[in-house]
Amino acid sequence: MELSDEITINAPMEDVYAALNDPEILRQCIPGCEELVQTSDTQLEAKVVLKVGPVKARFSGEVALDKSGAPTRFSLTGQGNGGAAGHAKGGADVTLETLGDQTVLRYDAKAQIGGKLAQLGNRLIQGTAKKLAAKFFANFAKVMQQQAA
Amino acid sequence: MKDEVESRDDRVANLKGLGSARKRVEDVRFTQGKGNYVDDIKLPGMLHGDFVRSPYAHARVKSINIDAAMALDGVVAVLTAKDLEPLSLHWMPTLAGDKQMVLADGKVLFQGQEVAFVVARDRYVAADAVELVEVDYEELPVLTDPFEAMKSDTVLREDLEDGADGAHGPRRHHNHIFLWEEGDKAATEEVIDSAEVVVEEMVYYHRTHPCPLETCGAVASMDKVNGKLTLYGTFQAPHVVRTVASLLSGIEEHNIRVVSPDIGGGFGNKVGVYPGYVCSIVASIVTGLPVKWVEDRMENLMATAFARDYWMQGKISATKEGKITGLHCHVTADHGAFDACADPTKYPAGFFHICTGSYDIPVAYVGVDGVYTNKAPGGVAYRCSFRVTEAAYFIERMIEVLAMELNMDAAELRRINFIRKEQFPYQSALGWEYDSGDYHTAWDKALTSVGYDDLRREQAERVEAFKRGETRKLMGIGLSFFTEIVGAGPVKNCDILGMGMFDSCEIRIHPTGSAIARLGTISQGQGHATTFAQILATETGIPADSITIEEGDTDTAPYGLGTYGSRSTPVAGAATALAGRKIRAKAQMIAAYLLEVHDDDVEFDVDRFVLKGAPERFKTMKEIAYAAYNQAIPGIEPGLEAVSYYDPPNMTYPFGAYVCVMDVDVDTGTTDIRQFYALDDCGTRINPMVIEGQVHGGLTEALAIAMGQEIAYDDLGNCKTGTLMDFFIPTAWETPNYVTDHTETPSPHHPIGAKGVGESPNVGGVPAFSNAVHDAFRAFGLRQAHMPHDHWRIWQIANDLGLHD
Repeated sequence: MELSDEITINAPMEDVYAALNDPEILRQCIPGCEELVQTSDTQLEAKVVLKVGPVKARFSGEVALDKSGAPTRFSLTGQGNGGAAGHAKGGADVTLETLGDQTVLRYDAKAQIGGKLAQLGNRLIQGTAKKLAAKFFANFAKVMQQQAA
Repeated sequence: MKDEVESRDDRVANLKGLGSARKRVEDVRFTQGKGNYVDDIKLPGMLHGDFVRSPYAHARVKSINIDAAMALDGVVAVLTAKDLEPLSLHWMPTLAGDKQMVLADGKVLFQGQEVAFVVARDRYVAADAVELVEVDYEELPVLTDPFEAMKSDTVLREDLEDGADGAHGPRRHHNHIFLWEEGDKAATEEVIDSAEVVVEEMVYYHRTHPCPLETCGAVASMDKVNGKLTLYGTFQAPHVVRTVASLLSGIEEHNIRVVSPDIGGGFGNKVGVYPGYVCSIVASIVTGLPVKWVEDRMENLMATAFARDYWMQGKISATKEGKITGLHCHVTADHGAFDACADPTKYPAGFFHICTGSYDIPVAYVGVDGVYTNKAPGGVAYRCSFRVTEAAYFIERMIEVLAMELNMDAAELRRINFIRKEQFPYQSALGWEYDSGDYHTAWDKALTSVGYDDLRREQAERVEAFKRGETRKLMGIGLSFFTEIVGAGPVKNCDILGMGMFDSCEIRIHPTGSAIARLGTISQGQGHATTFAQILATETGIPADSITIEEGDTDTAPYGLGTYGSRSTPVAGAATALAGRKIRAKAQMIAAYLLEVHDDDVEFDVDRFVLKGAPERFKTMKEIAYAAYNQAIPGIEPGLEAVSYYDPPNMTYPFGAYVCVMDVDVDTGTTDIRQFYALDDCGTRINPMVIEGQVHGGLTEALAIAMGQEIAYDDLGNCKTGTLMDFFIPTAWETPNYVTDHTETPSPHHPIGAKGVGESPNVGGVPAFSNAVHDAFRAFGLRQAHMPHDHWRIWQIANDLGLHD
């Protein structure tokens, strides 16, 4: 499954980049995120409640960040396990570009989903993933807006 | 007496014997919700089992932690492979000579594979506990494509010694199971290489699933006081299950009672032995309490036996005039993680070599490569006799493709190649002896009945109208002529795990002239209690309504190999007729004694023995039965019972001619089946109403398979069609009207000439539906498009042919 989109954020690029690396901001923005703990400079542990169609499960997983492309490129990979509900892994490449005093954020994400989640939610996954991604960036834009205010 | 005023016709009618459209006696309880299925069985103290299943298609199992599950109130036990290993039950033999994990032993090989078995006081607690079992997996590369699997370095079956032979000879790759060949390869290649016309095509018969409405299940009850194990279950072959359970568990066979209660459809899904059965038995032995296991719909579709998944590469050669000269076929057969196909032992590809079909093809060759992949095991005969549907679909597609190449009418091409009536018994190039047939008569009757020539004219006009832009609907005429091979089978070449495929019937006539008959088969909806009583009625003169038919309890029924592959009527039906004749032979001696004449002086007449030349002197079967028990007859022991075990001399070969007329919407891919005509020749017809019911059911399953039903996987081996949202089961909405018809060509070797019919409509139906879709696009050059023909795929065909431009 592949997702890509772009969103314009009302903040300078440096602020956007910093926020993308701030566990507290990410926790607020990730839909269903209960816990997000930074374990090293590039490692995070997350607990997320996810609902796809009839399957609802608590996923625990690890996220690794790659900041080597700072401040315009940023990528992350992760995998999570929801026990009997299934499992997921994936990654996203994010690029940032300055547009006046705004920042354009583009992302290309890939995800693989397995287990019951993939079976029961088969026809719903693409839609759900799009919705979750949109929600994340909407939250993110809102938080940035609040910070700027 | 009433008998004296009854005419002979009345007496025949009262019997409700052969040929009578007797109403199904089973339906009285089924239509009132009084059936007794496995899940209806509730025993005191019964526990419930549920499986932890693998979410991965291929992974190493690093650890299993059951602590949290065991801590849950109501959980009694959690079994893993480690618990089964001391009993040597962590693996079990399959019907195909391979072995299969009962619970994951070190790794998992398909999504949904059984990893641990939770036993709890309550079904809901068991389900909750399943979620608490923590399994640590390490993902491994997934192989879902059999062609890739044969090239891959990834070893799926690490338990098999590399380079060692399998159950059917040498394995040439670590993911290869067998190569099975039949026919003369060199001669076939020579004919094809020098032929005037040759066509080559890859015909894929996709993976699907029998999906009976009742899923698989069992209740095991070990009585530790008397040492007896009772096993209730959804078994199409209860005696085989008893023998296998005895061999696996070490419990002596007389201490095992297997009972198949009412079964809500089998279609091949309930032939095999599943981990759920083994785990229920072990759990009952461990806990000393009855244990029930019933799978849910997703588990049924994901883990118990699938059907088909054959990639058939065909070459067919002919003269310019259309006379077929040779047939070559190579199959790549995707068997999934374990070879658990249900075929007679000597035939790892079943009876696929019936693939010369109804045609007189002088030389042919078939080779089948079985391959392991990360998919569920199975390969059962879904409403067909051992890979006969694959064979029929293959040849009926090849005929259509050849007709296109020759620019010939496909009905005419069939006609000039049919085996002629006078050629029976016919020896096929691939080794079968067809017992009887009259294909030309059946074909002509079918084509006349549907108005074939008019349909072709209408179709040609439609194509012209389409080209002029006046319509967006094309018309397809799907032809299918099939020959089945059913009634496995002669013990000389048919066995399952060494058990010869005979069948049996035991009859007891009661003193008042009614009777009970028990058979080695088991009905799953076929109506045995109705039709076997009819065979007996005609043979013994006792009315069908006075005969109880009982099956499925191994403590009372005689040993038999069960019901699948349309074998009940050809094999157990023959045993029933012959046991009836034994009854009649003894009744004749008793009648002669009572009439004070010689045995040869009396003859059987409907329901009595009459004195030859003086029919007013007779003894009815009722009178004879009473005398058999209550009158001292010199030289004849009391009682009136008989047993017959029947080993058939040959298979039977039912055949049929089907025509499907379909409108196809080029823009939406939707189809409208305007007409479906099915002519079946199943030899002697026992009950025309039951036959019609079987044909309707089989055609509807054929519709499902051809037009939408599939078991599909994504690249990670996730089963994408594990619910009835995604797996197509037709309702009244999708099901067309069927017109049924028949010819009657009795089997010369069967005691009553019957051939079997339950599976014919699935065998002949799938090519009829599929050929209709193909035929709709024939004018635009479509040669082959893989099933299932759902709306999306049909739209895709039209799009690929440029019809949306």
